[in-house]
Parts: sequence; C-alpha cells; structure tokens
Amino acid sequence: MLEASALFSYYGKSPIIQDVDFRVEAGSFTSILGRNGVGKTTLLRTIMGLTDAITGALRFEGADLARMPTHRRGRLGIGYIPQGREIIPRFTVRENIVMGTYARADGKRSIPEFIFELFPILRDFLGRRGGDLSGGQQQQLAIARALAMGPRVLLLDEPTEGIQPNIVRQIEDVILKLNREMGITVILVEQNVGFARRASDQFILLDKGRIALTGTGEKLTNEVADEYLTF
Amino acid sequence: MPAGPAARDSRPPGPYVGWISMDAFFNQAFAGLSMASILLMVALGLAIIYGAMGVINLAHGEFVMLGAYSAWLLQTYFGFSILVSLPVVFLMVALIGLAVERGVVRWLYHRPLDTILATWGIGIVLQQLVRMGVGTDSRYVARPTILDGNVVLGGVVMSNYRIFVVVFSIAVLAATWYLLTRTEYGTRLRAVIQNKEISECYGIRSERVYAMTFAYGAGLAGIAGALVTPLVSVTPTMGTYLVVDAFLVVILGGVGSLMGTAVAAGLVGEATALFSFLLNDTLGRVAVLCAIILLIRFMPQGLFPDRVRR
Repeated sequence: MLEASALFSYYGKSPIIQDVDFRVEAGSFTSILGRNGVGKTTLLRTIMGLTDAITGALRFEGADLARMPTHRRGRLGIGYIPQGREIIPRFTVRENIVMGTYARADGKRSIPEFIFELFPILRDFLGRRGGDLSGGQQQQLAIARALAMGPRVLLLDEPTEGIQPNIVRQIEDVILKLNREMGITVILVEQNVGFARRASDQFILLDKGRIALTGTGEKLTNEVADEYLTF
Repeated sequence: MPAGPAARDSRPPGPYVGWISMDAFFNQAFAGLSMASILLMVALGLAIIYGAMGVINLAHGEFVMLGAYSAWLLQTYFGFSILVSLPVVFLMVALIGLAVERGVVRWLYHRPLDTILATWGIGIVLQQLVRMGVGTDSRYVARPTILDGNVVLGGVVMSNYRIFVVVFSIAVLAATWYLLTRTEYGTRLRAVIQNKEISECYGIRSERVYAMTFAYGAGLAGIAGALVTPLVSVTPTMGTYLVVDAFLVVILGGVGSLMGTAVAAGLVGEATALFSFLLNDTLGRVAVLCAIILLIRFMPQGLFPDRVRR
C-alpha cells in the first residue's frame, strides 16, 4: 500500500531521513520506534510532503507521492494526526471535525456517526472551542478529524504523549479497534514499547535517520529495546 | 447668543450649544458617517488581506482608484449608473487583484517585508498606467438619478445617496461576516490562517485560498472606489488619501476583528469630520492622528484584540 525505497528527506540541505526502505501492507499495523531526534516525526512528515525536499521513491497505492503537493496526498486518504495534535484552537469541535471532510473524495460534509460512538465526549462538546479542551480531549478530536475524511491509512505521531494515564488506555484501544475492526492501516510513531509490541504486525526502528532494524512485533525483544530505545 | 444683528445674520439658524450650531454639527456628523462607510469598505479589504496572509498591501489605494475609474469608464462609455456598475466593478478590480497576487505577491509570502516594497511598486505602476491611459484630469461621475434628493430631519439634510452608501457598507460588512464565518470558503480561510500545514494535510489548497482572499479584498476596494465617485473627483492619486485612513482604521481596530474594523472606521470617519468642523481641516487631521497615537500607546493591540489562548 505504502512503499518507500532509497528515500532521503531534507530540511534545508540536511538529510534527516537517509536511505530508508519500507513497505506497509493494506490493513497492517506498523510502529516506528527510536530515540528522540532520530527522524520518526520527519518520516511521517515526509509521507505528508511537509519536508523541504525528498529524493528516492515514495508510492501510495501506485500513486507517486514524491512529487505530489500535500493537499492532494490528504485527498488520497492519508489521515495525519501530528505530534502535539495541532487541532485548530479557534475552531469549534464541530468545525475541527468538518475540516477533516475537506479531504474527502466524495465531497460529503457530514460527520460520520461512528466518530461519536468512539468519542462520546466530542458530541457533548461540539460547540466548544478546540483550544479550550484538555490534552486528552484534543487528541480524541485530532483522531476524529482524521476519521472524518474516511481515511485508508492513519499516521499517528505519539498519540499518547502528555496525556493523563486513564485516557492513554482508552486512546490505545480506539487505535486498535480502528485497525482490527475497521481495517484502517495504521502507522504509529511511539515511545511506549509495550503498546507497540502488543499492537504491531511490523516495527521499524530508526537510528540517526536510518533504519536500524525492522521485523514483526515479536522480534521487538527487551534486548532490542535496551539497545535502541533507552538512553 | 452674541449681541448685534450683524453677527446673528452671518450664522446659520437653529439651536446652539455655546458657539456651535447643532444643525451644522449634525450635518457634519452625517457627512462623517458616510465617509466612515467608504473607509470601512477600504479597510475591510486591507484587514482581510493582512489578517490572512500578513501582507501589507500598499497597492490597496490604487485598487480603490481603479474601482473609481472603472465606474467612470462604465458611465462614460456605456452609460451605466453606478448602481448597475457595482457588481461589474467588483469583478473587474477583483480580477486585477488576482493577477497581482498570482503574478507578484504569491512569490513573496515568506518575505513579508518585501511584499511592502513590491505592492508599493505595483501601486506606482498602476497609477502611472492610468495617467498614461486616461490622463491626469479630474473625472466626475454622476450619482444615480434614482438616489437624487434629500431626507430632511429638522435642520439636518441627508442626501439619499449618502444614506445609500451607509446602508450599502453595512450590507458589505454583513456579507463579509457571513462569507468568513458561515461558508466553506470562510472556514477554509480561517483554517489556513491558524495552521497552514495541517490545513493542507486535510485537502485545503492554501495558495488558492490566498488568491481568492486577495481578489476579494481588492474587489471590496474597487466597490469603495466606485461608491465614492459622486462625492469626490476621480484622479490617479485619489486612493492614497483614503488608504492612509484605512491603515489607521486597521491598526486602531485590531487585526483579525471585523467588529474592530467596523467600530474603528466609524471612529476615524467621525473624528475626522468633527475635529475638522471644530478646528479646521488641517488641525483636524493632526488631532485625529494624535488621538490614534495616544490610543495605540495604551492599547497596542487595537480596540478589539484577539484574546483567545492558543
């Protein structure tokens, strides 16, 4: 579904992602792991076309992403849930979710009902401003916005970072449910090895902008975690 | 009341407060209101373009001037009344704005200081083109005959045309509010203003939004220019005077607030009219500028700052 080969991605003249190859199958769950600053976020931003330049190949369902403007990548069904959530603070919750539908290919602007079944709190807060929600609620809103587009694949960047522990579990369960029950492909940047191991079909371990190790969830042993993820 | 028949005869009749004739006062206040309405339409375009893209459009006055010349052209060669011309003028100037944005401004969004120079240059070019094409003579546009006549309230004489300008500008304000807050285009624009990157991730073409916004702001300036033609003479430099006041309005109102722009336009228009009446035109300008400097000293964000936490 999503394929990269010999992928380099730049900020200015600095290559942040270097010679990366990977393949993500439709319906699978991929975790991207690594210490801070190894390029995990940059890899997701590269898929969305938010870095300055890329070389190499990047394809999504046969379409060439490498030379495609960001707004068209969204319309292919790539739902991006960035680090720090980046919901629109002065938009109401409703406006934030409706914004997700602007990436729909079918032009529909209604909010799919299942979103409120996943996140009942958002229905109660429809008229509130996004900036007035708590961190956990904003994260739910960011996921809801991506779901409103009817995504084929979700790119999640540390969705549980800085969120109170009782909501972390709830968000993890929703992500699993979207992948297992609704068949949405998930690419997750995560620091939490436990969840990555439990959820992933495949993991990609980055170190200094390159892939250090890839494999299935079981291969993500404690020894591997110690070597590449502890400080 | 002063003594002596001579002094009494030289002054207008009607009630007085001190040495101020109330009729003259209210007439002046009404004239101020109609100028404030023109100012509002000019300032709205400026404020939207600045609020959306951070571009200080120094060619805005020339968009006003082009609107005025478009109205003159349509009246002189096609016999259109201003009322018929308004939508045509809006489209004409919006298209010119679109060309300016696509041709020059869009290359400079990441260099805001350079947009000031570039738009200033565009303004000079537009002025000079009009000078070469139409000449430097003042042109006049007749007001629509349907709006001839006055409404008289006591000693206050209000021309129907000025009343129309006031009502029309309020309608433009309402339409702009509706466009920005209740339509999909407006939602897209507000999304891009707050977070361009994430907006693009959700399928919004920010550059198209920018182009439309610039064209809309230019079109508003064009309408203002067309509407002002029966009140002032049409010259290549007419926009300069209006746009200076419009900049004051934007600064005073606070960026990003339609309400602030409307209130500030009213204040600047009225203050200019009343200070000119109480002092004289020159001292009146000085007084208005001093008042604005004082206000900005104590309210640097303008009258209606944006107080939402990010």
